[in-house]
Amino acid sequence: MMDIQNITKKLEGLQTVDSIAVSLGIARRTAVNYVWALRKEGFVETIYGKRKIRMYRISPIKAPKFGYPGLYEFLNQNSKIKVYPPYTERIYDHKPTAEEMIVKAIKTGNLRTILSSLALFNKVKDWAKLSQIARKENIGRKIGALYDAARTIIRVRKMDKKTRKALLRSKIDDKFIVKYARTKDLQQIEKEWKVSFPFNKADLEAYKE
Amino acid sequence: MINLEEQISLFKIIGSQLSKKVECIAIGGSAMMFYGAKTTTKDVDLVFLKKDDLEAVKKVLFNSGFDERKNIKGVFREDEEIIKPVMMDGKETRFDLFLNEVIGFIVHNELIERIKELHDFGNLRVKTASPEDILMMKACTEREKDRDDAAEIIKKFNIDWEVILSETSKQTKIGIAAFPILLYDFLTELKENYKIDVQKNVIKDLLKIAEKMIEELKRKDKLIRVTKYKS
Repeated sequence: MMDIQNITKKLEGLQTVDSIAVSLGIARRTAVNYVWALRKEGFVETIYGKRKIRMYRISPIKAPKFGYPGLYEFLNQNSKIKVYPPYTERIYDHKPTAEEMIVKAIKTGNLRTILSSLALFNKVKDWAKLSQIARKENIGRKIGALYDAARTIIRVRKMDKKTRKALLRSKIDDKFIVKYARTKDLQQIEKEWKVSFPFNKADLEAYKE
Repeated sequence: MINLEEQISLFKIIGSQLSKKVECIAIGGSAMMFYGAKTTTKDVDLVFLKKDDLEAVKKVLFNSGFDERKNIKGVFREDEEIIKPVMMDGKETRFDLFLNEVIGFIVHNELIERIKELHDFGNLRVKTASPEDILMMKACTEREKDRDDAAEIIKKFNIDWEVILSETSKQTKIGIAAFPILLYDFLTELKENYKIDVQKNVIKDLLKIAEKMIEELKRKDKLIRVTKYKS
């Protein structure tokens, strides 16, 4: 009879079948059985690494999930570029939309988070709402520039002219999307939106891999 | 007593009535419920970093039928300064609202950096204190239930004892000088009564920190009084 609590404490974090076998000093086949038992009890979440290798996120406690996913879970569900969440976030008062998550991602000022959020432009349903939230947060032109950048690499829904004009006219607090980061690629977008662009073309290529 | 669903409903009510963004840190049973380490709690403990935020939540709670308890006893620090939480009594539960410290345990930047969970309820953002910090705050009290909770935390989480030791040293400087003694007593008791696995070197290191602190206080000719929170 295995002591599930102790095993989950020992294995907390990311594991593969092989690493579990090594950590517990058991055979690979037994490790598979352990994963099965732990998953049945709700201590395991399966994620896929490169080349579809299964990885298991093991936690010693089963946190009940209420509410809706926060920024990082939302990005990981909807974008090809995954982000390691620095914290777990849940939203309880409403179902988050792509529009507000784009704004939230840009406000983090983190390069990878912003890069990952480009995929959300394809999920935007209400451009007027996106424009409204962006202008409220003083990041309107940054949103416009990122939208144009997203269009160069992925299929994105078309932004209506009214929203584009409103974003072009909007005020921003500072021109840096990521603090003090600028590249020489995509200069045309930078010129049009009067912002400093943090990615170069190679960064955007990650969407093609 | 309330469960997690009821706690979420209460936070939603508060969040919907606040007129500006307010942030706080959930500690104790409330935080343990978010982690899934406890199913019910008697009181919801929240720490605020801004007085305005605490007052705003207090006002919303008052408007939602919670009354402020005035006669709070048993909260002391060795420097005689009385730090009282705001206690808002409801029918089923009680909100304890703290400002910057919990019975002498000071909330500072490193503690905030250890936070790994955020819960958004409209204008109310509740962050969840780390298991290590919850455990240390439990050491400042003398309630039986806190011992049960602390034992549960050690059983269920992979406690980072290095964090506990470095935080203990820090608290002696910024918070309660007697904190290592409180924690040493607390962990020894847990080890004996609850058969909890606390590494020997942790207890030993705590004792060293406590002895060093007592020597320093003796040198300064300072007397300390240690009274724990009993409410």
